[in-house]
Amino acid sequence: MKTSIRWRVLGAFGTLVLTSSLFAGSPSAKKETDASAVVQTSDAGSMRIEGEKRFHANCGRCHAAPQKFPPRMMGTVLRHMRVRAMITEEDRRLILFYMTQ
Amino acid sequence: MLYLLRETAPARRRRTVLSVIVLFFLLSLASWVSAQDEHDKPIPILTGNIGTFSFVTGGQNLIDTQINPVLLVPLGDRWLIESRAEFEGQFQRPPGGGPYAGPVNKHVDYAQVDYIANPYLTVTAGRFLTPFGIFNERLYPVWIRFLQPDPLILPIRTAPSDGAMFRGGFPVSAHANMNYALYISATSIGIGSVNAERHVGGRMGFFFPGPRLEVGSSWQKTLQDDRRSAFGFHMSWQPSKLPMSLRSEYAHSFEGSGYWVEGAYRLSQVHFWQRAMRRTEFVARGQQFFVGAIGADAESALGLPGANTREGDFGVNYFLRDGMKGIFSYGRQFSSVGNFNQWSFGLAYRFLIPLGRTGASPEAQ
Repeated sequence: MKTSIRWRVLGAFGTLVLTSSLFAGSPSAKKETDASAVVQTSDAGSMRIEGEKRFHANCGRCHAAPQKFPPRMMGTVLRHMRVRAMITEEDRRLILFYMTQ
Repeated sequence: MLYLLRETAPARRRRTVLSVIVLFFLLSLASWVSAQDEHDKPIPILTGNIGTFSFVTGGQNLIDTQINPVLLVPLGDRWLIESRAEFEGQFQRPPGGGPYAGPVNKHVDYAQVDYIANPYLTVTAGRFLTPFGIFNERLYPVWIRFLQPDPLILPIRTAPSDGAMFRGGFPVSAHANMNYALYISATSIGIGSVNAERHVGGRMGFFFPGPRLEVGSSWQKTLQDDRRSAFGFHMSWQPSKLPMSLRSEYAHSFEGSGYWVEGAYRLSQVHFWQRAMRRTEFVARGQQFFVGAIGADAESALGLPGANTREGDFGVNYFLRDGMKGIFSYGRQFSSVGNFNQWSFGLAYRFLIPLGRTGASPEAQ
């Protein structure tokens, strides 16, 4: 009985994830992602300044500022922080830009 | 190995086998992903922390040594598999003297798959840290926390959840970001892995980047027995003009209620001995716990104090290098079952190991 409930709940979650994937894969969802793109300016200098500002504001909420790591590592760390600390997509992109310069 | 498996209880054997399979799967996945040679793609990394501490509580010394590896495996542009395990040894001298001895606890804190659906939604499935308050999810690692002793209210509704979660963070105006998490858990493994329950819950917070202020609240309801609810509030503030950080949490539940307030001040603005001072941080925490309606034994089984308790802690952290700090603190606890001092000192270190080719390094800071 308990196992059956567990499988039913897992099934429901699987369906939710699948639905979400389909939603995310739709053109409107892609458009949403693109619309939030941070690169509204090609000025790398101002992006770096904004990235540094957001780095201190967001990362400092929990821990001391870490050193910079290679780009492929920073990409993973910031994806983790996107989920764990729920930083916004815009903050993630700007911080990634700043931390990989 | 087989002998050990035969000797363990069936539930424990199942858990061990499952853990080995999950670990093997994740490591295989990490190797496979790192083999994908794409120039700027995120790579799997193994991070986490190591700490060794000595806690002297009421004259009794406890050596606590722990390692908490975190495996992060990004897949494509939207997926992330992440897992954290905890291996913690707590060693004490037996009454009457003798060498230090004690149990080594090991368990998986979380093993989850995240799917970043869009800028507003991330879907998580698996075992995850319950987002009740902020300490459990964000401040728990030993290299992050200001003080090593846990807050008294930490065990309230923070056992890992098994199920699914929807979460995200996005700007709601030019001056504020909102973050949220909604989850349902089918089986939550409680303290000692003996409790199972179903619950739903959520957390919502607002972060104001200008004043660097975050406020939020949490809620959780069990879906069985008396279907009891718990709620909490949290705040965090880092004024931009001062090297200071303030955090606080309040939790109210059937099991008990309480709050903690803590602050840290980095001496980076002090004009003498600057090299040493900018690495030094003074920290303090005040907290109070009020017992609930479950009785002293049940409180104790959950890891909560068995009586109304007040505690004050003060400490110093010294950052030896990035991710490594030495800690020292003193606290005193007051309750009807007795007052005692609590000293702690030790070392915490965060490591980060790439499991693939890293690409070009940026300039060191």
